[in-house]
Amino acid sequence: MAAVSEQQALLDDIVAKLELALQRRYGQAARVENVSIATLGASNRTLLFDLVEPTGRRRLVLRQETLKSEVSPFISPHDQFEILKVVYRHGVLVPEPIFELEPEDDLDVGYVMACVEGETLPKTLLNAPEFAVARKRFAAQTGEIFAKLHAIDPGEVGYLEKVADSVDPLAAQISRYDAYCEYHPGLDVGIRWLENNRPKDKPRVFVHGDYRNGNVILSPDGIEAVLDWECAHIGSAMEDFGWVCLRAWRFGNIDQPVGGFGPRDEFYQAYTSNGGQAIDEEEIRWWEIFGSLRWAVLNMMQADGHISGVRRSLPFACCGRNTSMIEYDMLMTIKGHFS
Amino acid sequence: MSQDKPDIKEILVTVKELLEGIAKQSKGSERYEALCGAFLLSVVDRELDFGARQDESQSGELQQLLGREGSLSDLYQQFCQQVRGGELDEQWPAAFDFAFKQVVDKVSVTNPKYLAEMHRSD
Repeated sequence: MAAVSEQQALLDDIVAKLELALQRRYGQAARVENVSIATLGASNRTLLFDLVEPTGRRRLVLRQETLKSEVSPFISPHDQFEILKVVYRHGVLVPEPIFELEPEDDLDVGYVMACVEGETLPKTLLNAPEFAVARKRFAAQTGEIFAKLHAIDPGEVGYLEKVADSVDPLAAQISRYDAYCEYHPGLDVGIRWLENNRPKDKPRVFVHGDYRNGNVILSPDGIEAVLDWECAHIGSAMEDFGWVCLRAWRFGNIDQPVGGFGPRDEFYQAYTSNGGQAIDEEEIRWWEIFGSLRWAVLNMMQADGHISGVRRSLPFACCGRNTSMIEYDMLMTIKGHFS
Repeated sequence: MSQDKPDIKEILVTVKELLEGIAKQSKGSERYEALCGAFLLSVVDRELDFGARQDESQSGELQQLLGREGSLSDLYQQFCQQVRGGELDEQWPAAFDFAFKQVVDKVSVTNPKYLAEMHRSD
């Protein structure tokens, strides 16, 4: 019971400050109504709410962060907001960025963006009858989105050049893996293979870094918005292709490589016919193998959070054991048994 | 076998059944966590069944591959460091095969259904 009332006190505090933040920007008549919690964690909060003004009502999202870890693989909320502005301006499907939190708001760091209606749960998207049309369109729509994204001048997001994944994504994963002082023969063999088979350097573009089934809002008509830009960086376009086709993100629909929804050819076709650079299938395969390394290390991170007590969670405990399946995917792909 | 019945296996099955029952009656995160719990108990069961055998087998293989003795955890460390440093590049097929076998061993404990036909023992 104590935990529940603590949560309520926290929520009340945030809502009160949020209302003041809105009044500071939209006038005294602004009100917050219809609050719903997406996440209310210790370090990370997402709230949905209605901004009510005399002129009307609009549903918005507050993203707030309280902790900034030194070894966090994610970019700051400020940079995330800057990115949202850039991609929104270029017509990439994202929630409209509304405003960034400021110190006088007393809400730590974060931002407010428009709420986009739709579904993100992979299981629902892959199975519910109402998403049949959206499923068919996903591969081609993703190709179009990538073409638009990768066409943006990386100079517009120059602050991303300093992110570890922009400098050398493989080195970045290796240093995260090494931080746990665990010995996974499968991962080291995978790392050696990746090092010995590095793709040729290509023109560097703005990559999303975490585009996958689970981070995209779909309506029955198709893709409505791309979320979660915390892993954005500058690098090879083919990296985004590898990640969305990772076996883990097919959620059992192994024969539909693009997020479990559709085939590669529709995806590649839509990309190139919308101005995207030439597809390099060998390189995409390298990035899928790299993606397994990255996903395995992320699972090690979750398990470590549980074991160390920072974030106790049964699902996180499972993540530690799940790395074996990801390593299996990696080696089977290297061997050519999986594609 | 100094302990009374139910034995370890039976205890694991019993608690697993409880969690699966809870999962059936719940929704959302409660259901998910109960299923995760049941999953972990299956993992424990399999690890108790053949974990030691896997360790022994891997230990033998690594000692041969690396030409030295040591605890399994020392051998893993040696293997990983040597692979990373390129010292096993000349023996790449053998190194890869060992890592592959180690991963198949782990998946056999974690979730044997995940293995492709070629690696199933059933």
